[in-house]
Amino acid sequence: MRAATSNAGDGVIGAKDRPSNLTGASDPEVAQWAQHGHEPAFRELVRRYERPVFSLLYRMVRDRALAEDLAQETFIKVLNGIKSYNPQFKFSSWIFKIANNAAIDHLRKRDLDTLSLDGSPHATTPEEMSATALQLGDRGESPLQEVEARELGSAIERAIAKLRPEYRACILLRHVEGHSYEEIARILDLPLGTVKTYIHRGRNELRVYLEDRKA
Amino acid sequence: MTEPLLQHLTPDELELWAQGLLPAARDIHLAQCAECRALGERERKLFRELARLPRFAPEFGFVERVMGRVRIPSPSNEFENR
Ligand SMILES: [Zn+2]
Repeated sequence: MRAATSNAGDGVIGAKDRPSNLTGASDPEVAQWAQHGHEPAFRELVRRYERPVFSLLYRMVRDRALAEDLAQETFIKVLNGIKSYNPQFKFSSWIFKIANNAAIDHLRKRDLDTLSLDGSPHATTPEEMSATALQLGDRGESPLQEVEARELGSAIERAIAKLRPEYRACILLRHVEGHSYEEIARILDLPLGTVKTYIHRGRNELRVYLEDRKA
Repeated sequence: MTEPLLQHLTPDELELWAQGLLPAARDIHLAQCAECRALGERERKLFRELARLPRFAPEFGFVERVMGRVRIPSPSNEFENR
């Protein structure tokens, strides 16, 4: 229904300035169109980033419905604050920063709520880790949980889930999303050296988890 | 103190190697060091597995659910004023 209504921007932005090919435009171009109230530009930004942002959040919280809520929250914050976007920075860095903050905030609150439960993302001892692994694999009661178990059940996904959230975010941004170390430092508001340390430790832990399974 | 040839690859260098970007001078070390080669192979395997991870999609209609809650700023004519 909304799509059928005429875009309010059309009357003001001259036809010569209107993006002829939104899908071929760069992120900063699309974001600038959004800053000027061009509704299709908003949709284009959501279309471009719904999967990357949702995937990051889903792997951070391992709960589809919750990841979707956090993804919505992220996009609403980004799009309602589009006027403050500075095109000198990568749009992807900006949106991942907000998404990651949403995930970390949630995980912190959840940890406070369920301090005594096993399956903590901060699992460090083998006992804690196996408790985490059990929790991740053996909860196929609802159809949604079955989907989650299928989607996130591979060895590599389970290994990622065992990383502490800070390492997990770094590894996903580096090796799944392909951000540079510098970009990740900006996204996570961490010193570059810390990002490198987290990524190296994260990779070491992943290798150990994956090799332990095979042994 | 240690000759560059003898120094093991750092994690950064292992990542460069896995991407095919390691400077030739360090390649020489790799050719001589089974330890670094083994670690490099394990890293490369991990990178490959991570890079192959699928992207998941939110439930159908996500764009509309977001757009229903977004305030489109009133269009400005800044472009003409610039
Ligand atoms: Zn070596």
